[in-house]
Amino acid sequence: MTKAYRASAGIMLAPAVTLIGVFILLPMLLTVWLSFQDWSTQTPFAEASFIGLDNFREIFGSASVGRDFKGALLNTALYTALSVVLILPLSVAFGLMVYQRDVAGGTALRTVLFSTYMVPMIAVALVWSKLYSPSEGPLNQMLGLIGIGPQPWLSSPRSALVSIVFLNVWQQVGYFTVLAVAGLTQIPGSLYEAAKLDGASRREQFRFITLPLLRRTLLFSAVIAIINAVQVFEPVALITQGGPVGSTNVLTFHIRRVGIERAQGGLGSAMAVMLMLSLVVVVCALFALANRKDDE
Amino acid sequence: MSAAGSPNWLPRKRPSGRRALLAILMLLVAVASAFPLVWMVLSSLKTPAETMQVPPVWIPRAPNLEAYEKVSGVINVGRSMWNSLLIASITTAGILVTSMMAGYAFAKYSFPGRSLLFSVLIATMFLPPIVTLIPLYRLVGSIGLNASLAGIIVPNLANAFGIFLMRQFISGVPDDLIDAARMDGASELLILFKIVAPSVAPAIAALALFAFVYHWNSYLWPLTVLQGNADDYPIVISLSRLLSYNRGAVNTGLVMAGATLAVLPPLILFVFLQRFFVDSIVGSAIKG
Repeated sequence: MTKAYRASAGIMLAPAVTLIGVFILLPMLLTVWLSFQDWSTQTPFAEASFIGLDNFREIFGSASVGRDFKGALLNTALYTALSVVLILPLSVAFGLMVYQRDVAGGTALRTVLFSTYMVPMIAVALVWSKLYSPSEGPLNQMLGLIGIGPQPWLSSPRSALVSIVFLNVWQQVGYFTVLAVAGLTQIPGSLYEAAKLDGASRREQFRFITLPLLRRTLLFSAVIAIINAVQVFEPVALITQGGPVGSTNVLTFHIRRVGIERAQGGLGSAMAVMLMLSLVVVVCALFALANRKDDE
Repeated sequence: MSAAGSPNWLPRKRPSGRRALLAILMLLVAVASAFPLVWMVLSSLKTPAETMQVPPVWIPRAPNLEAYEKVSGVINVGRSMWNSLLIASITTAGILVTSMMAGYAFAKYSFPGRSLLFSVLIATMFLPPIVTLIPLYRLVGSIGLNASLAGIIVPNLANAFGIFLMRQFISGVPDDLIDAARMDGASELLILFKIVAPSVAPAIAALALFAFVYHWNSYLWPLTVLQGNADDYPIVISLSRLLSYNRGAVNTGLVMAGATLAVLPPLILFVFLQRFFVDSIVGSAIKG
């Protein structure tokens, strides 16, 4: 391609670059800038006044602002870790079920699993709040059938966050199953043939071929699962409001409450910056881990 | 493990006992996955008496649409569905145009800073929306778009995923095809929409479906920007009004009827067009 097309390139790129620049990149920079300012969300940006690291001192301080934020950070970390730890192994197990050809119905299973990913999270939250209902809710009724007593689910601080993890896993696992199947189709069949010639069992084939060659897929899945998990909002906003006793107060909910509802834009932005930094650190650590394994 | 002499390259079947176990396991997974949605639809057809019964009534004895009528009394279903349709389809149309144009530029032009610009744009794909929510809310307000459908739509008219997907697929379109059209004097925009677009039609369909479903389901941004302007509520936000009915089993049918209404459009799209969804996820994962 020659210089003649540079003008065309400009025209082709202008709409997307302008929109993403104004509505994503600029707000991102503003978030960083606002995190060093004292600013109310109800006032123009010009009203902001520089206060150095005060917002960060406050959100990590020992007063209630700090306690709430640190709680939300911890809740989000727990929620994310649990989601990833459940989703990744399940996606590989379900992926193998979809991919195998010994038993028919793999594609139908994929359709069923993936359909939940299309459901609006608000509907998921409504349906599961009823499924979890302590007395007449179907989950406790079914547990009763196999002799397990009623669980408090969303109404106890000990189980509320985990209950939301479950509905998140239910909704998302189909998407990650499709990713796992994509990874499985990339593994050359010749490797399995060679392993069979060497007398490797199915378990050994899984351990020494499937799992290592799925590593890139699993890394990609882990990154997406983490990014998705920190966005959890609807079940918290709709059902628990962050409770009971702050046990489901996660960052997306908390940052919106502080930055929009309470209009403490500076504080909220400092929290958003911490979320962004935490994500960068976790994702870099994952890549470093994967690269180190590659070198072995 | 297999008998000596049998051809090893033929796929070995699992023993039949193992296969039966696998079939049962697959069935259990499918049932567990489908159960919440099946239960949602069944509950929406029950009478209030049936939804309160313990032990529960699983299948309604006389399925009826009373709950759906009641939903219409609580929220403006028609208006909300129309708002959702407007938001999702206008946003999708915008994403298609901006993504095809930018994807074409990244795939078929070379210009200084191309890979840097592409990396910066793609990085935004990994940015959770909450990180930009506070300044974006103020920004959209300052250009007078808050509390309106335009405020929901305009900031979402371009996204990195669409550009990425389009670049991947347009890269595969042969340069000869494009050069031939240029010889004939076709403009670049004409080439993009008349020649390149038809040859990446499946990817465009996939992107359209993804965008439509994503923006039909989207909750955080519309909730924030609308500031309680109920006339412009999409269906997912109107649904949260059923929250006040969420306490107590007597209104389970009502809540489930509302949820069913919101779930149906994306689910129907998926059932008919799931091939495109799946192909594009696979494409974006493998080629990325």
